[in-house]
Formats: sequence, C-alpha cells, structure tokens
Amino acid sequence: MSSGMDPVVEVAGLVKRFGRLRALDDLDLVVTRGQVHGFLGPNGAGKSTTIRALLGLIRVNAGSATVFGLDPWRDAVAIHRRLAYVPGDVALWPNLTGGEIIDLFIRLRGADPQRSRRAELIDRFELDPTTKGRAYSKGNRQKVALVAAFATDPELLVLDEPTAGLDPLMEQEFNDCVAEHVRRGATVLLSSHILSEVERLVDHVTIVRAGHVVESGALADLRHLRRNRVRATVKEAVPSLTTMAGVFDVQTDGDDLSFTVEPDALTPVLAALTGAGVRDLTITPPTLEDLFLDAYRQPHDDRP
Amino acid sequence: MTGTLLLTRLALRRDRVLVAIWLLLLVGVCYASAEATTSLYPSLAERVRAAEAINSSPSIVALYGPVVDVTSIGELAMTKLTVLYAVFVAVFMVVVIRRHTRTDEESGLTELVGGTAVRSTAPLAAAVLLGCGLSLVLGALAGLADLAGGLPLEGSLAFGASWAGVGLVSVGLTAIACQLSASSRTCAAFSAGAIAVLYAFRAVGDTSTGPLHALRWASPFGWSTQLRAWSEPRWWVLALYALTAVGLITSAALVRGRRDLGSGLVAERTGPAQASPRLRSVLAVTVRGHRASLLIWTVAVAALSVFFGTVAPDISDMLDSSSAREMIERLGGVGVIQETLLAAELSVSAVVLTCFGISVIAQAGEDERSGRTDELMAAEGSRGAIIGSHLVVALAGSLWLLVVTGVCMGVGFGAEEGTLTSSVRSLVAAALGQAPAVCLVVLLTAVAWSWRCTWHHVGWVFLAAFVTVGQLGELLRLPDWVVNLSPYSHAPAMPVEPFDPAAATALLALGVVALTAAVARFRVRDLG
Repeated sequence: MSSGMDPVVEVAGLVKRFGRLRALDDLDLVVTRGQVHGFLGPNGAGKSTTIRALLGLIRVNAGSATVFGLDPWRDAVAIHRRLAYVPGDVALWPNLTGGEIIDLFIRLRGADPQRSRRAELIDRFELDPTTKGRAYSKGNRQKVALVAAFATDPELLVLDEPTAGLDPLMEQEFNDCVAEHVRRGATVLLSSHILSEVERLVDHVTIVRAGHVVESGALADLRHLRRNRVRATVKEAVPSLTTMAGVFDVQTDGDDLSFTVEPDALTPVLAALTGAGVRDLTITPPTLEDLFLDAYRQPHDDRP
Repeated sequence: MTGTLLLTRLALRRDRVLVAIWLLLLVGVCYASAEATTSLYPSLAERVRAAEAINSSPSIVALYGPVVDVTSIGELAMTKLTVLYAVFVAVFMVVVIRRHTRTDEESGLTELVGGTAVRSTAPLAAAVLLGCGLSLVLGALAGLADLAGGLPLEGSLAFGASWAGVGLVSVGLTAIACQLSASSRTCAAFSAGAIAVLYAFRAVGDTSTGPLHALRWASPFGWSTQLRAWSEPRWWVLALYALTAVGLITSAALVRGRRDLGSGLVAERTGPAQASPRLRSVLAVTVRGHRASLLIWTVAVAALSVFFGTVAPDISDMLDSSSAREMIERLGGVGVIQETLLAAELSVSAVVLTCFGISVIAQAGEDERSGRTDELMAAEGSRGAIIGSHLVVALAGSLWLLVVTGVCMGVGFGAEEGTLTSSVRSLVAAALGQAPAVCLVVLLTAVAWSWRCTWHHVGWVFLAAFVTVGQLGELLRLPDWVVNLSPYSHAPAMPVEPFDPAAATALLALGVVALTAAVARFRVRDLG
C-alpha cells in the first residue's frame, strides 16, 4: 500500500507553459493505490493545472503523466469512467436542478443513479435537489458535485479544494465520506491550501510551489525529518543554546525558552536543559503548517 | 451618485465593441433606406401610389404602421424603420441594460462592486445612464443618417427623436424587468414579452376602427407614428416617451432599493429532484440547454413566416405601383414579382435564423469558460462528444428553422392564392436552398470558438460583416468581389432563380473544410 508498487497517478517532469508563464515547471507526483494524497500549495502554485492535465483537459509541453497506467489525453474516456472529479469552483447548468445534474454525472460515468448512494448522500449533505442550478449558493453547488462524486464507487477521487464554501458540519460529513471510500480501497488526490482540513485525512503529501515540488512523502516521514518545537522553563540560563548545532529560532523571555530543534540535536539539547534545571517542558511535533511554511521559506532562507 | 459615473465608464468600456456594432448597423440601415428610396421613387405620383398601397393593406399596416402623409418621401423611406425597426432599438437597450444589471448580479460581479464604496443602486443607475446616453446618441446619428441620405431636416430630426424615445422607454422597461426575476434569462423574457405586447397594442390600434383604435396611443411604437415626424411634427409627443421612461426608471429604482441583492420579486421555481431517463449524454444536456430557446424560435419563425407568406400578394400590389413594375414584368412576366418578394424574405430569414446557430456556439464558449465543459469532460471524457453535441444542435436547429420557415411561408402564401401543396413544396425547397450558406456561417463560428475558447462571440462579427457586404453591399455600391465574400451572396434567390448545384456544392465543401478544422483543433487544444 505504501511502497509505490501500484501507482494510480504517475507524473514525471511535467512542464506546462501559458505564454511566458511556466505554470508547471518539472513537476513530479506519484499517488499509489489506497493513498489519500494531499496536494498542497498556495494559490497559483500549479495544483489545478496539474489536475487538469491529469484529466486530459489541457495538454502539457513536456514530461509524462499516466492515470491507471493510461494516457490522460488519449484514453480520457477509459480513465474517466473509473474516477470522479470535484472542481474547486463548481459551475452548474442554470436551468437544470441539482438532482438532475447529479443523475447526469452519475450516468455519464456509466453508473445507475437508482442503484447509487445518491439519496443517502443528498440527505447527509442536506441538499435540496429540486433547486435550479442558478439558485444554489457556492456551498450548495459544491455539495451537488460532492454527492455526484461520492454516490458511486470510483477507483480514484480527484478533489480540487473541495470543501471551499462548506460549513464545519458539512466538512465533517465530507471527511466521513472520504474515509468511507478509502476503507473500500479508493485512492484520493486531494488538493488544498487549507492545511488543517487535509491534515486529518491524508497519509501522504506533495507540496508544490511555482509549479515545482518542494516536498513529497509520507506525512510521518516528513514529520520525522523536521524540527520539533521545544518550550521550557529553566532555573538558570542555558548559555550554549544559541551556538548548538541543530538549534534554531531561539527566543528567551525571562526563565521561559522557546526554540526549534532537529531530531539529531535533541539529545545534547535535553542534556543542556537538564543541566540548567528544568521546571516545565513541552516538545511538540511540527504541524503541517510548519512544514508548509518551511517549504515555502526555503528559497529565501538565510538560516543554516 | 457615488460610483455611478465610474461604473458607467466601466460599462461603456466593456461594451465598446457591442455598442459600435449595434450603432453601425442601425444607423447604416437608416442611411441605406433613405438613400435607396429617394432614387427608387423619383416622382410624387409613384410615392403616393406606394404609400396608398401600404395603407390599403391591413396586414402591412399591422406590421409597419400607417403612412400618415402619403406625399412624404421621408415617411415612405422610413416606413419599416419607424415602427418595425424601432423594435431593434428597443432590443438593443434590453441587451445593454440587462448585461449591466441582472447578468452581472447573477454572476456575482455586482456583489464584488457592492462591497466597494458605491451605493446599492449605483449599478442600476450606471446601466440606466449608459442606456439613456446610447438612446440619445443613436437618435442623433439616425437623424443625421437620414439627412445624409437626402431626406428633409425637420423630419430627420423628429424621426431620430422617435428612435431615441423608444430606446428610453425600453431602458425603463428593462430596468423594471431586471428587478422581477433572479434569472437573467427570465428577465430577458419579461422584457421581450413587454415589447411584444406593446407592439401588438399598436398593431391592433392601427388596424382597427372603433374604440380599439385608441390602443395606438397605448404604445411607444404607436407614438412613433403619431409623432408625424414628416409633416408638421407634434413635438409634444416626445414628452410621452420621456415621462414614461422617467416613471419606469423611478419605479425600478424604488424596487431595487427594497430588495436584496441577487433576489427577484418573482420566486425562483423549483424542478424535478430526479433527471428524466433521457438526460444521460452530453448531447442530451446540450439539447436541454437550447430546448426552450428553440421552441420560442420555432413559434416566432412560424408566425412571422405565415404572416409574410400571407402579405406577399399585398406587398407586391404596392410595388406594382412603382417604377419597378415594368422592369420586373420585362424580366419574368406577371406574378413573378410575388416570388421575388418571397425570395427576398427568405434571404433575410436565412440571416436571422443563423443567429440561432451562432448563439448555440456562443453558449458552447460560455459553458467552457464557466467550467461546465470541464465537468462534462471529467465525467465522460470525449472531446468529440462535446464539440459534436454543440454542432449537432446548432446545425440541426438551423435546418429545422429553415424548414419551418418554408412550410409556414408556403401555407400563408398558398392559402391566399389557393395553391397550398405546390407553394409549400416550392418554398421548403427555396428555404433549404439557403441551408448551405447558413451552415457555413455556423461552422465558421465553430472554427473561431474551437480555435480559442474566448473567441466564441466572433460569430456575431462574421454575421455582421457578411450582412454588411452581402445584403447591404449593393446599396452601398461595394465592388462585386467584396459582395461575394458573403456566403449569403451565393445562395440562389429561389423560387425565382433555379437551384444552383455548383454554388451549393462549393458552399458545402467549404463547410466540410470548416467542420474538419473545427473538430481537429478542438481535439488538441486546452479547454477553458
């Protein structure tokens, strides 16, 4: 499951230019079967462009991409029968009702709405299926696309910032739906710039910036490589702390200390703290927020 | 006024191409008609006979309104323009006002603007200001065009003022219509309905005697005739347009001030919770999108075609009085003049029906820009299905409307003349004779859209260009090769001329080239 033996999505060296802008600049991405893969980056990083390339909506200038081992451009029909896509900004047909649009999408993917989980999901997402497309709010448009995507059993769910506009209760419902699909063996590619919503769902992340991957791997491994934050209250000053290898961002406020430390430097740091007489100590693993900021900061990083 | 002037400038900036095309076409028609009529009816006697022929035919009076002063060259020249083409002036204002009020509101643009330091009524005020300004400019230009075409000064100005007046009233009507429904399409339907009712009031008023005769005063289109632009104008009639417009605009502002952004006075209807079993393909969803529009087109085309077929004998009586008679009789004998008229009406119908096909392709571009096409592609995956569905609806719809035109014109004409079967047969064939030209223009539109998504409106430019060089080319005395650039110039004037297999083959061959290019390009380009 985690070894990358069975890639569902495989992207290597993808380049896409829009005029002079390089929207994708040598981008790599591998999503293996059963993964919930977070695809993270700020607005304009190339997340949607990558997804649109994977769906065969745009043609890339260089590099290779496969979905289920097939070419997204040539084999679009075969690929799309096995996946469901929810865009970040769902556009609906103004004169069709939500229920009609859900049925249409389910049928276009080759399934039967009557034998899908359509009714149950409309209930769970508290969607009124009789409203015309033009009258839905942004959140409700999103729900229409989510119900259509979750109603059948696609092998791959491609979700492009899918929870934008959903309230927290509906976001919880969304998380439950993703979890259910993962349990039955679905693969999920979930793009977002909201880290907290992804952190609870994903097991792998790829972080992109300016069309290039800056970080990719299992969430656990990435955390392991990163600095923990240490907060301590000590009796005496710890003079060697700022000069210690692997210690950063040192801040002192009276007896209170705060700094980040690389895992390798943890042992000498703890020894030094103990020597100074520890009264209080917390060590927290980095949040995705830290990873994220760290990854973005790299080009301008003047720290060691 | 906070922000209003700024928004007006923004609206004008967004509309510069649209406005320029409308103004050019409307003013061009004024000039061409003024110019053509002065040379077509050189003597007073001929003018009087033509005008009396119009007045003696109730169906023509219903369409154009009566000729008040049968001796006036200006009134004869502006017969079609005073009332019938004033409808286009009204439609122009519907397009402009709706674009900057309800359409922007529906797309969320108004909300964006509303978040800045402008009053909630500013977008409506800006649209109204633009509409009123354009009405006045159009009126002034129309008057100048008449003057340049050789018509008297006072009449030209009064005629221009009548167009400006109709424009102002239409601005007010649309401003109210756009408050009624949350749907931009429904608002357009309300506006079109109001224009149709006012036109019908005038038609009934102009053609009936007795109490209903007063109805001509219940419609701005009636005022345009009653203004008597060409013989001692009743200038006070202009106050009717102005007061009506002020009243309508004030009401619209009051309604706007009392409703929420994005809501309408008429509640949005709900629909079925489940799709019909037929809604299962890309083609089905495209057909569904154009179903209502095609139905309205069919009814309108059928009604107008029956009408034109019925009045063709009357109109030919009118032409019969003019100097055209000897020439036409020398060419083809008595009776041919009616067929010439039908052929001319069919060639105009062909241009109008092309609008349906172009609007289908324009909608394809809108679907793509909004992201709906992405969603269909992600679910179904076939680019051929996407472009194919739009082409099928555009081409089949246009052909269907041509057949309806031929059948209904044949029924109208044949019933009048007692030759039902043969008339229907020959007019359906004549209408289909226009099909290669119509299809080619639709396919050229498809090429533009498939070349670049944002070029989906280029079809309107094609149509405007072809109409200018083709239909108006002879009036404007353009060289032959320029006139021949229009596909419509190569459609045979059936039933007068025989079917021209060579021209039809050439047009169809070009159509196949355009079709191939459009599909090939759409298969390889980026969506969106």
